[in-house]
Amino acid sequence: MSRVFVFDFATPKFRLTSRTQGIWLNLTWLYGINIHVMYSLRVTNVSKHYSATPLLQNISFQLQTGEALAVAGWNGSGKSTLLRIIAGLVKPSAGKVQIFFDNEPISKERKRKLIGMVAPSLAIYEELTALENLEFFCRVRGIPHNREKCLDLMERVGLCEQANKMCRNYSSGMIQRLKLAQALLHNPPLLLLDEPGCNLDSKGMKVVERIILDQRSFGMTVIASNEEREVEYADRVINLSK
Amino acid sequence: MICKILLITWMAVVIVAAFFYAGPATGFPGETSRIVFFHVPQAWVATFSFLLSMVGSLLYLTKRNPGADYLAQSAAELGFVFCLLATITGSIFARATWGSFWNWDPRETSIVILLMIYGAYFALRSAVPDEERKRVFGAVYSILAFATVPFLVFVVPRITASLHPENTMSPAKPAMDPETLVVFLGSLLAYTGLYLWILQIKIRISKIESFKKPNIGQR
Amino acid sequence: MFALTTLIAVSFSIGSFRIGETEKPFLYAVLLWIILVFSALSGLSRSFVKEREAGTIDVLRLSARPQAVFLGKLFFNLTLLLALESIIVPLFILLMEYKIESFGFFAAMIISGGFGLAAGTTVVAAMIAQASARGALFSALSFPLLLPLMITGIKGCERAAIGVGVTGWPEVKISLAYVIIMITMSLLLFPLVWEE
Repeated sequence: MSRVFVFDFATPKFRLTSRTQGIWLNLTWLYGINIHVMYSLRVTNVSKHYSATPLLQNISFQLQTGEALAVAGWNGSGKSTLLRIIAGLVKPSAGKVQIFFDNEPISKERKRKLIGMVAPSLAIYEELTALENLEFFCRVRGIPHNREKCLDLMERVGLCEQANKMCRNYSSGMIQRLKLAQALLHNPPLLLLDEPGCNLDSKGMKVVERIILDQRSFGMTVIASNEEREVEYADRVINLSK
Repeated sequence: MICKILLITWMAVVIVAAFFYAGPATGFPGETSRIVFFHVPQAWVATFSFLLSMVGSLLYLTKRNPGADYLAQSAAELGFVFCLLATITGSIFARATWGSFWNWDPRETSIVILLMIYGAYFALRSAVPDEERKRVFGAVYSILAFATVPFLVFVVPRITASLHPENTMSPAKPAMDPETLVVFLGSLLAYTGLYLWILQIKIRISKIESFKKPNIGQR
Repeated sequence: MFALTTLIAVSFSIGSFRIGETEKPFLYAVLLWIILVFSALSGLSRSFVKEREAGTIDVLRLSARPQAVFLGKLFFNLTLLLALESIIVPLFILLMEYKIESFGFFAAMIISGGFGLAAGTTVVAAMIAQASARGALFSALSFPLLLPLMITGIKGCERAAIGVGVTGWPEVKISLAYVIIMITMSLLLFPLVWEE
């Protein structure tokens, strides 16, 4: 196995390459420096038609760890569809979406562990409480589910007091917060946020802002939104409405 | 073109021969045994067609090649038509020999199940809007249905004894006299030829239709 | 609910005395299996449609392995069916005065039949969740697949009621083979149905 360590003493930053994630963690612990796992997302010439009407045409971009990208566009311009294609929920008519770890494409099976997604079309179980929802998804993903971690997440999205309330009785803003928590459950390197701020109050928007900032330290974010404020969190913007 | 003319002539010859060349078999009332020249080849073609459809489905699931799905679908449709024909001719014969159109003998039972399976197959295909999903679902369903066939073979004959005349399905050990056998084999050939011809046309139609609607098949 | 309604309708209109003693084992087996199969068809179609209507189907797609989803749904359907059977079958026996000679065989037949019903319908339920005209389509698609099982079940229950030739439980073996084949096929085919 080859491990290439590139120390660049001229600049304070250093980059290093390795095939196993374990090495990273050890080094992080040793040096006390936050080292990024180099995931990248590559979208090449993605097109999508429904019957004969084209929706997306030749979308290409690349995203590195630490970056955030915003996808803007009018209603019906295909923002959500693009995100769903990236997540693998919809098959593109042409082109491909790949996630790389150190320039090595990642298999479909492992992709599932890398993606967290929030979207209006993704619901949570209304007949469970918020905490039960999170624990259920932990179990489904095969993460050792401890209550502590789930409660931590609830704290992060500001739902701590209502953790044991049935989701049926939740307001739409609270449900949106829970969806955010659900997407963050497995610390995904690629976070897909479709209208993250929908139904949220100003406190909720702060939560979203915080999440995107935190995500920058170890992963990528793609935000689909028309809200000026949400687009501003990103480094780059793709505009789908032409 | 020559092939087609040959085929048509061949069919005509077979039909004439079926009525005038071959004599009626013993053991059946009147002229009813002549049904063997039409009913059995229809049943054979239907079976063959469903088998082709299965092969198409399997190929589609492994290769994701639309051509395989055209084969699966066209073969299923034609198989269905021939199966219906065989059912109708069979039940006319049943009426003449056994006194009722339907007796639930094992072959009749299994043909009904086959018709049900493929009826469901077409219903499924027409109910899925997305072209690729439709193909995958069709293939999955036909394979799933095929997996139940061994059970039918196992289970159905226990219910009632078969009324079907033996040996008619196995020309290898014929109880037929030579003239009958010749006409029977000729008819088998004619039906297979006719079937392959129609199948080829159907596949071409499917291809042309997919060109007419661009991008379909990719959602 | 459907099962109860049919059961009451059947037992009300037929009663236990209209059928001759010799035909009882066979006709009762048929009636019981008709009730079981059709209540399964009306109940099990919901398993994936529910996820779709609630909008949770895509979350599951994103987070769970397809085989895990399939097995989860299969076990849910199975518990549902066994619960249904545990209510319907005793009631049927009581209301119709169904005399059974070989009780162990009968119970094994009913339980393995329940496994078979669940195994045969789960993939179909996943398919119809993505189609239009769901309810009717589910029955149309499932029925041909369940028919061999149903015939086996009828035969088995009849045999159990008469109590002749029950050694080795032949029909139970057939239906277990059906269960195994259907589950294996489903595990192979389900990921294709599940993933876009």
